[in-house]
Amino acid sequence: MAAPIRVLTAVPICDGHDSAINTINLEFIRHGIEVVYLGYHRYATDMVRAAIQEDVKALGISSYNGGHVEFFSEVARLLKKQGADYIKVFGGGGGTITGNDDVIMRKNGIDKIFFAGTSLADMVDYVHKHYGGTHKPFRGRKPSADMQLARKLTEIEDRYAGKKGKRPTSNVQRSTSKGRQGSKKTGTRVFGFTGPGGAGKTTLIDELVLRLLHREPKARIAILSHDPSVVGAGALLGDRATMINSQNERVFMRSMATRGQAGGLSPATEDCLMLLAQSGFDYVIIETVGTGQEAMPFQTGLVHKTVLVMNPDYGSRLQLQKIVMLDLADIVVVNKSDQERARTATSEIGSRLDQNKRSQILVSTVANRHRDAGVDELCDLLTEDRRL
Amino acid sequence: MSKLGQVVEAVENYNEFVLKEVKRARTDETFGQQMVDRWNDVKSKTPIGTAPTGLKLPRLALPEIDEAGEITRYLLGEGLPGEFPFTNGAYREMYLEPLRELEAGSYGRVGKNGKNGHKKNGKNGAKAAAPKAVEVEEPTRLFSGLGLAEDTNARFHFLTGHQRSARLSTAFDGPTLYGIDSDAEGVFGKIGEGGLAIDTYEDMVRLYDGFDMGSSAFSASMTISGPAPIIMAMYIAAAKKRFGPNVVPNLRGTIQADIFKEVQAQNETIFPTEASLRFLCDMIEWTTKEMPRWYPVSISGYHIGEAGATPVQQAAYTVSNGFAYAEMLAARGIPVDQFGPRLSFFLDCGLDVEYIALARVSRRIWAIGMRDVFGAGPKAQMFKLHTQTSGRSLVAAEFKNNLTRTAAELMLAYMNGTNSCHSNSADEPFTTPSEEWIRLAAHGQAILLDESGIFKHTMNMLSGSPGMKAVERAVEAAMLEEFRQIEEFGGVLPAIEHRYQRSQIQNAAHRYEEQIYNGTRPIIALTKYNDLKDEMPEVKMVRTPRAKKQLQVDRLAKFKKRNAEKAKRALDKLAEVVESGENCFPTLIEVVEVCSLGQITGRLQEIVGHFRPMV
Repeated sequence: MAAPIRVLTAVPICDGHDSAINTINLEFIRHGIEVVYLGYHRYATDMVRAAIQEDVKALGISSYNGGHVEFFSEVARLLKKQGADYIKVFGGGGGTITGNDDVIMRKNGIDKIFFAGTSLADMVDYVHKHYGGTHKPFRGRKPSADMQLARKLTEIEDRYAGKKGKRPTSNVQRSTSKGRQGSKKTGTRVFGFTGPGGAGKTTLIDELVLRLLHREPKARIAILSHDPSVVGAGALLGDRATMINSQNERVFMRSMATRGQAGGLSPATEDCLMLLAQSGFDYVIIETVGTGQEAMPFQTGLVHKTVLVMNPDYGSRLQLQKIVMLDLADIVVVNKSDQERARTATSEIGSRLDQNKRSQILVSTVANRHRDAGVDELCDLLTEDRRL
Repeated sequence: MSKLGQVVEAVENYNEFVLKEVKRARTDETFGQQMVDRWNDVKSKTPIGTAPTGLKLPRLALPEIDEAGEITRYLLGEGLPGEFPFTNGAYREMYLEPLRELEAGSYGRVGKNGKNGHKKNGKNGAKAAAPKAVEVEEPTRLFSGLGLAEDTNARFHFLTGHQRSARLSTAFDGPTLYGIDSDAEGVFGKIGEGGLAIDTYEDMVRLYDGFDMGSSAFSASMTISGPAPIIMAMYIAAAKKRFGPNVVPNLRGTIQADIFKEVQAQNETIFPTEASLRFLCDMIEWTTKEMPRWYPVSISGYHIGEAGATPVQQAAYTVSNGFAYAEMLAARGIPVDQFGPRLSFFLDCGLDVEYIALARVSRRIWAIGMRDVFGAGPKAQMFKLHTQTSGRSLVAAEFKNNLTRTAAELMLAYMNGTNSCHSNSADEPFTTPSEEWIRLAAHGQAILLDESGIFKHTMNMLSGSPGMKAVERAVEAAMLEEFRQIEEFGGVLPAIEHRYQRSQIQNAAHRYEEQIYNGTRPIIALTKYNDLKDEMPEVKMVRTPRAKKQLQVDRLAKFKKRNAEKAKRALDKLAEVVESGENCFPTLIEVVEVCSLGQITGRLQEIVGHFRPMV
């Protein structure tokens, strides 16, 4: 089975019209396509960076409030400038894009404009027909570091496609002890974030990234984020849309679909993580899909600190007993601690951690509050050994 | 229970109350007779008008009933136009043309479009109804914005030159809507597209040049939400500069400023929700006191509808958002009769059958909720509505059909007693409306209201048909069910945090699109009768030339240079007030004199953070 087609979709800067792109994303997913969704009100530079890092076949732009000729052309120009014009640009904007505009845009390097009245089926067809197949090797001048890393990740993912349960041979060094040594030498710290859906993991990581970028003006960060695949279909990889601080030149982000594997990660995750840990980043952050927390999702050898993010609304104390991750995580975060139930939650979780006698740390955060002191504290905890 | 849950109970209780009163009118003879007397009194006092053909018609048509129970059901259940619960209209006479001769009765003409209070006009009614026509505003209000301030100014003069009153409606470009300056990186192509560019209050001075901003025949509507308090402050500063400080209490108009619908559907938000709501409440608190004729929030379903919501979802989310604002403002200690009359609403009107009665039901639920849950007086019970015909219903293929679509939607909007209305131009699938098509759009409303006799002779001309009543009952039940769903999350804000409204809207949008292509929703010339091979039509495009965009950037640079030092001090002062938690709106009015929109947004974002988009 061939690997699913990956495309990136987005809406340009100063444009919040996301109704069309939401509908198109949904349709793509239903037809086996993996969509990395960057969100609305996005700069051309952010789109190009994301498309390269995600190593998508094509970048789809939905533009409804004018300035599309300039915007699409700027995206094509930036891709070309970086030698990444192997990524095709397509898009639409209802009737606001005219036939004349299309002529200019195609001349400027846009692959395809869907005009008003194009059916969803026709769009899906076009993507399957024109953006399928394996990636062609880079041509021309030397590809950038991001491009090379992104392509290696694609190769790892593709090797696993259709080989469920089997480990393909890999170019990546698989020995965990070596992996760990390697990362120690380069000083890379790997943090694993997991927790139930709706606990606010993505927001928390993004706030953490904001602080790391601010505190360490030269630090480079890699993020490996996961979203579930829809059974028998593609996946909507939407973390980038909410991770506004992580769309930054010093951040390399990759979104992965679980492609049928349970447990919150993808079959290719371990190899991808190992590669990232060896690629000279200061921090590598991995985020699982929101899961039931019945087991430890991370290979312990690769991850330096595991963080379990909880929502105060987990239900009864009994529910808490079922969460195995509470015994395994190094740090437990109670996010949304401004909620009514947070006080009870913190004390229940705290006493559970005390029983473990493992010097696990409990932190209370409100990730969606600007300048939250709890997130500051988490950032301190995660970086303390680096600062010593 | 949030206030929304209480509203559900209040509506249910009111419906039960009406049934009981109907029964009482049938069993309690005295009460029954009172109702019949009232009915006969209303009928006998209803003036008779004359159509140009000589046909005599009462200015208020009523159902042909004479039985006490049915009379009670009508008077309490839906109410006369202008009376609780306002199903038939917020005002008594709405679009009726002035009486040429006083033929019967003594009550006078009331505000045509809702801006003139009913009571006030009622008192000196006899005078107002004298043969000499009263100067009233037209309900036509066309949304415009293109290029730079001076271009939009010219369009405003073009649109209102022949009207008695100037009711302007302003559309802003993308950078302005997101609080970004025209000189910001990566936005050059967006300057003046889809609306006009505003960077400083000097642009605002240019925008309304030649209009008397303090006049009672002038009102301005500004469609902007994320940076609304800053834009509002610029409007005030511009008015003060042109007309002096005394103009402020006379300013009339509306600013959209609806944060809830932005977070639910339109995505033009720049600060985190909580901070946005704080800035909004600061503005509402100040304007409802200092500018009593201004509408500081237009609670909008239009964008919810355009984003794909069903009509019921649209109305339910809009009205529930309204109650959420009321709850917030009341919690701030602002009296309900101070802020209530200054809340206004904005709905979409498309071609789905629900639109026959959507606004009627919304008006009724709002009135009952405001009176029985918030303790509001009559003026704060009125759901004052602006309607726009549906942009989403317009199609590029054989686009002249859009005239017919818009005409049908206009008919529905006026049947629903909207207080003001925007009709879309047929060329809108392609472009900011060109003069040719916007003129036809404006004429569409005039043909309906002035030329045809449908709405100008008799109130209730099309109210209360059996079909309309059936739709009303179904829509009300469905809206209350939506309220219950929202209440299950704990109210509007918690539901927003759970993405409830967003995901419902997205699902509805996807279903709509599927229905177009599976034939459930035929779209003429697109999926049905589409035999004409579609060529892109020749439409005159309205785009902003490069030189104009550059002019805006240059002007901004000059402004920034001139005010560089003052700006720094002003922003520091603003930051201090914001951090202190005080009402920051008065400070904003000062700050805009020396700072650009982007400078202010940037500084505020440093303090309160950025909006984190929801997917």
